[in-house]
Amino acid sequence: MKPKVAFFDFAGCEGDQLQIANLEEEILDLLGQVEVVSFREVMKEHSDDYDIAFVEGSCTRIQDEERLKQIRKNASVVVAIGSCATIGGINSLKNYQNLDAVKKTVYGEKADLFDTYLARPIDAVISVDAYVHGCPMTKEEFLHVVKSLLLGKKPDIPNYPVCVECKKNENVCAFERGEFCIGPVTRAGCNSCCVNEGTKCWGCRGLVDNPNENSQKEVLIKYGLSVDEAISKFRLYFGWEKKQ
Amino acid sequence: MHTLSKEAFEEFIDNLIADNSLNVVGVKSKGEKFAFGPLESANQLRLDYDVTLLPPKKYFFPQRETLVTFDVASGFQAKDPKESKSNVLVGVHPYDIMALLHMDEVFRETKSDPYYLERRNSSVIIGVNIQNLTEQCFAPSMGCATVDYGYDLMLTNLGEKYAIDVGSHKGADILNKYAKNAKKAFARDIQAVGKKKMEIVNMAQQKFNFSSELIPEMLGKFYEKDSFWKDHSEECLSCGSCVLVCPTCYCFDVKDNPDLSLKKGERTRTWDGCLLEDFAKVASGENFRDTKATRYRHRYFKKGKYLFDRFGFVSCVGCGRCSSNCLPDIANPVNLFNDMYAESLKSGIEIDSVPVPDISIKTGEIIEFAPKIATIVKKVPMTANEIMFELKLDNETDLGHQPGQFVQVSVFGVGEAPFGVSSSPTKKGTFELCIRKLGNVTSKIHTLNEGDKVGIRGPFGKGFDAEFLKGKDLLFVAGGLGIVPLRSLFNYVLANRKDYGRVILLYGCKEPRELLFADEILELEDRDDVEFMSTVDWCPENEVWTSNVGVITTLIPKVDFDPQKTYAVVVGPPIMYKFVIKDLKSRNVPDDHIIVSLERRMKCGVGKCGHCQINQLYVCKDGPVFYYSDIKGVPEAL
Repeated sequence: MKPKVAFFDFAGCEGDQLQIANLEEEILDLLGQVEVVSFREVMKEHSDDYDIAFVEGSCTRIQDEERLKQIRKNASVVVAIGSCATIGGINSLKNYQNLDAVKKTVYGEKADLFDTYLARPIDAVISVDAYVHGCPMTKEEFLHVVKSLLLGKKPDIPNYPVCVECKKNENVCAFERGEFCIGPVTRAGCNSCCVNEGTKCWGCRGLVDNPNENSQKEVLIKYGLSVDEAISKFRLYFGWEKKQ
Repeated sequence: MHTLSKEAFEEFIDNLIADNSLNVVGVKSKGEKFAFGPLESANQLRLDYDVTLLPPKKYFFPQRETLVTFDVASGFQAKDPKESKSNVLVGVHPYDIMALLHMDEVFRETKSDPYYLERRNSSVIIGVNIQNLTEQCFAPSMGCATVDYGYDLMLTNLGEKYAIDVGSHKGADILNKYAKNAKKAFARDIQAVGKKKMEIVNMAQQKFNFSSELIPEMLGKFYEKDSFWKDHSEECLSCGSCVLVCPTCYCFDVKDNPDLSLKKGERTRTWDGCLLEDFAKVASGENFRDTKATRYRHRYFKKGKYLFDRFGFVSCVGCGRCSSNCLPDIANPVNLFNDMYAESLKSGIEIDSVPVPDISIKTGEIIEFAPKIATIVKKVPMTANEIMFELKLDNETDLGHQPGQFVQVSVFGVGEAPFGVSSSPTKKGTFELCIRKLGNVTSKIHTLNEGDKVGIRGPFGKGFDAEFLKGKDLLFVAGGLGIVPLRSLFNYVLANRKDYGRVILLYGCKEPRELLFADEILELEDRDDVEFMSTVDWCPENEVWTSNVGVITTLIPKVDFDPQKTYAVVVGPPIMYKFVIKDLKSRNVPDDHIIVSLERRMKCGVGKCGHCQINQLYVCKDGPVFYYSDIKGVPEAL
């Protein structure tokens, strides 16, 4: 019997689910292996009977916690997809600002009607079995994780920095082009896609297990950033991890 | 030597490009840097480059390549090494030529890598003498700024023309076939080339303050200077940039990539690097090089000492790529070795240059990357975590292993993992593996059943020398899972009992329920030609245990043996070796009477990928069985 899968979204742009919707021909092969029972972005039907839950978005309200816990209860495997769900992501930028002011910026006069708290990855609330990092996640890695789960193996998510893939791709180092890159401490797995396109790594996949953050900061400063600017480079995506 | 005018040279290159049977690549600009890439026209060439981002090794040992394809229905199929087109590399600097010569030795030693060597044999190397070099380049200090061999053609820019030195028959043929108006060089051209080569040697800004011949010896004196390595590696990002851009690095990882059918897929190898945090980590979670300092030190030792001891050369060509790619700027070998030299002067450490070791490299066999198919004929659960699998090769042959050797087991789509063979070679038709559930491969194997298929490569490595041990008294000491590979020898000895002296087995595990091969062990009690004792570290209240309680070393004082006549065969978890060996030594067992079997992250099985390396040794090739006398001076071994 094919495992039943469901997709859920919390605070985020739904860009990761869009990656799945954009799988094109591979989506048919994928549907040969799993049965999708809930996917708001592409279908009307919904069922609470599922084996694997893919969760996008970060948890930004106390109410979200209940819904997450329910998903955890229903699913035997929970997979966090995209930076917001895996590491807190861009949403965590607000964690360094006054939350009332943040609400006012977003909701204006109606700010009082909405709740908010520190943005966090979903594993700050429930246990997570697998991660598909990235902002957005890549189709390739999503498929790799799905195949691994179906084969009963732990997905192979690198514990080395983006530099590894960047060197293999023979890119000119972003620092040499005058950019400030977070690649040396960011978990690889994206095939250094941003640097390949001539820009730099922003750190969307989160830190490697044991990043040498001090050294990375010194590198940023050596290449001309102030200490505050260097710290803010880390905060774009690593806001939640910095908070822990 | 010949000369070609610049125009005739461009025509020569364009003629090569026009030949569809060739894949012509050369140095082109990439942003403000340079890289080897496919040439569409000779005018893209930048022979005045300083260094390329990646060395040309990528054409022989690519960043990623498929070794084997698999299909559950038909098994494993090795990729044909034959390439459809021959590569012609235009503009290779002498240091990169030297690096390829180093790589050749590595990839052909013991077992040859068919993919690397096929590409090397079918390629044409057109070198160019250095016109510019980076400020990090120290090729002259390594004696690699110029070369006299290793190329098919070597170009030297003489202003209006190129001087072309022919280095091989292949080079002569190419020049003959594709170049028009090649003239014989005049004496003044040959002199001009000689002068250019002399100039290159003086171009480098980075220099050693000592002779590079001292490197292997100097490293040897600095291995244990922990603070030296710690200080130099403090800022290391463990990003691997230094090793990934290195022209002589050859470590790799192998992974399985199934397609969405989950039944078919391919096994690929990718570049890996010993500077990366998980490089020496095994499935049990143990990381045998778990600090920045030990990984950083390993890189220098591998280049400067281990490869020197193995092949007779320091495997650094001075290209300077490592130092220009290191963001915290700690990877510059010139700085490190100059610091080391200064410190040795300061501390009065004397360093002499060591003679180049005698090298005898065995070559011949080709690596077989495709596993053979075997069928699980029996599956017997041993404990909560270990299952014994009896396997039969589908080609009906015996595995042909020595006791103590290991095999690589492939599970379709999941990958490959090493296991010591547990059965004796005297068991014909099938062989046995006892597998603990730890990582991906082992977890999946545990779900397989009788009749299911797996892939087998091997047997690999050096096993126990059962022949040599004949007539000797044998003291077997097994801890936990160590009984598994040890059993292959133990059962062999029992099958040939009269050939051996006394046989003593000491076996310990954590608690009674972890005892492996309980039935066979029970049978030992009835034999009067085997002395046997067992122990558990502790016994929970709800379990029954009538023998000794205590760690394995508590059994050693209970046996009486003649240390001169006895050989101790010790296999167990890493922590056990230290204590057992200490006790055996205190009982006057000579070092060469102690035999151990080590566990590391064996990946390729043939001494290439680098994962199982302990200092200068490859566990997969030089071991896993070692005499203690051979590894007591190998700090990473025990």
